[in-house]
Amino acid sequence: MMFRIVTIAAVALAVAGTAARAADQRYPDWPCTQAKVPEISLAAVWAGPPLDDVQNKWKDNEKVAALVAKLSARKTPLDEAEKSVKEFLAGSAADKAANAKLLFAGLFDTLNAQRSQVMNGLERVSRKQREAADKIREEAVQLQALQGATPRDEAKVEALSNDLIWKTRIFEDRHKVVRFVCEVPTAIDQRLFALGRVIQQEME
Amino acid sequence: MQAEVRTRMLRAGLLSGLALAAAPAHAFIAYVSNEKGNTVSVIDTESWTVTKTIKVGQRPRGIEFTRDGKFVMVAVGDDDTIQVIDAKTQSVVDSLPSGPDPELFAQDAAGKILYVANENDNTVTVIDLEKRARLGDIQVGVEPEGMTISPDGKTLINTSETTNMAHFIDTSSRQIVANVLVDARPRFAEFRHDSSELWVSSEIGGTVSVIDPRKHEVIGKVTFEIPGLRREAIQPVGIGMTRDDKTAFIALGPANRIAVVDTATRKVTKYLLVGQRVWHMAFTPDEKYLLTTNGVSNDVSVIDVAAQKVIKTIQVGELPWGITIAP
Repeated sequence: MMFRIVTIAAVALAVAGTAARAADQRYPDWPCTQAKVPEISLAAVWAGPPLDDVQNKWKDNEKVAALVAKLSARKTPLDEAEKSVKEFLAGSAADKAANAKLLFAGLFDTLNAQRSQVMNGLERVSRKQREAADKIREEAVQLQALQGATPRDEAKVEALSNDLIWKTRIFEDRHKVVRFVCEVPTAIDQRLFALGRVIQQEME
Repeated sequence: MQAEVRTRMLRAGLLSGLALAAAPAHAFIAYVSNEKGNTVSVIDTESWTVTKTIKVGQRPRGIEFTRDGKFVMVAVGDDDTIQVIDAKTQSVVDSLPSGPDPELFAQDAAGKILYVANENDNTVTVIDLEKRARLGDIQVGVEPEGMTISPDGKTLINTSETTNMAHFIDTSSRQIVANVLVDARPRFAEFRHDSSELWVSSEIGGTVSVIDPRKHEVIGKVTFEIPGLRREAIQPVGIGMTRDDKTAFIALGPANRIAVVDTATRKVTKYLLVGQRVWHMAFTPDEKYLLTTNGVSNDVSVIDVAAQKVIKTIQVGELPWGITIAP
């Protein structure tokens, strides 16, 4: 039992060590192996006409605003989203070019904001994980001291062991979630690019 | 009467002309290596669809047809080998003895000798393709990457990522005869078909160096500028040149664009938005189309070469890297 606890603590500490190391010195809290790109630049996803004249106006257009919300939701499958773009623009007749610009401006704002939120969340969790790792390290040292003490206070050893098991488990679970969430900014990039590409094709 | 006949003839002529124009282009087969998916996607260029996905080794990158079109070789870096796919059965049938972590390779004009850049041990491995045996190694710079052979077969070019050099290797003596310094992290090298120039892309430097292969000197540079994009987002990698050497296409990585370059002025004439992290490319043998691999959007873009327009996008496996089209 005791051996297992120590092993768990050691594993957690090893994991905590890798989680704490940032690949890019500019972003010490960034927990992902994927490079942090703080914002998607418009030029990376859009080669169509300038959007200066439609900025923020997309929110005033009910139809566009509703469609932006639907297309930005990750639960909407991408092929379904692409189909919706085509249908919307096909039904826009004379307003096609204007609507296309409004729609993309809306998607660009919304998905970029969504992406920032996810990235901020990841950094917040990464800071929490670092605190948790410190705590686990501290308790592991305490436990070792308690185990070596004579006479040994079995009740205290037991209590601290249980606490350590829990903290380690939470730490590991969170670590797995972080790795999964690290894929999300890229998934948002992909969605924005794919939808932008369909909109530009429809404009030609 | 005569006028009517003439009209009829004219109409018939027009019709046959139209029929010719509308006739489907000759179908070709493209193979795409998917670096993260550990697969190779097979694309039919008539239907523009993926007709098969072949499971290969770990981290497939460099991919090329043998000259006879019978096999496709794919470097699977994490398995330290080059796998051979039979184009008829579309399955892996053999492997070639490369060094550790092979990434890109080049074969001589006859298709008998293969030169492989091994990223991890700073060597180029020479392989006899008929015997499928290793002939020897050539020591090059740190992290060898780009590979190409001069049209006359006498010079092998290898670029090294860390040393920032293009090494000129004499294929008969297998010795380095010259080193040319280029911008940071050279990735890919391509000769003009008339041998007068060698173009080398630098991923971090953000340029393409134009080298005189006889004098071993940089004689010009292609630079890129896309309004609204940071300079570091423009990372030139793959290069494709039309057979008449008039136009070069350069993949710009995370700029998500292909630059169309007039080789006479060495200036960009157009940027084409293709897919995310565009990496390598291949022409169909009739040069009507250029296919590009887009790593992050997991797709292949089809460019109409004459119109300089993207006409199609095909979803492939995870992180498409290299592409080769049957001769």
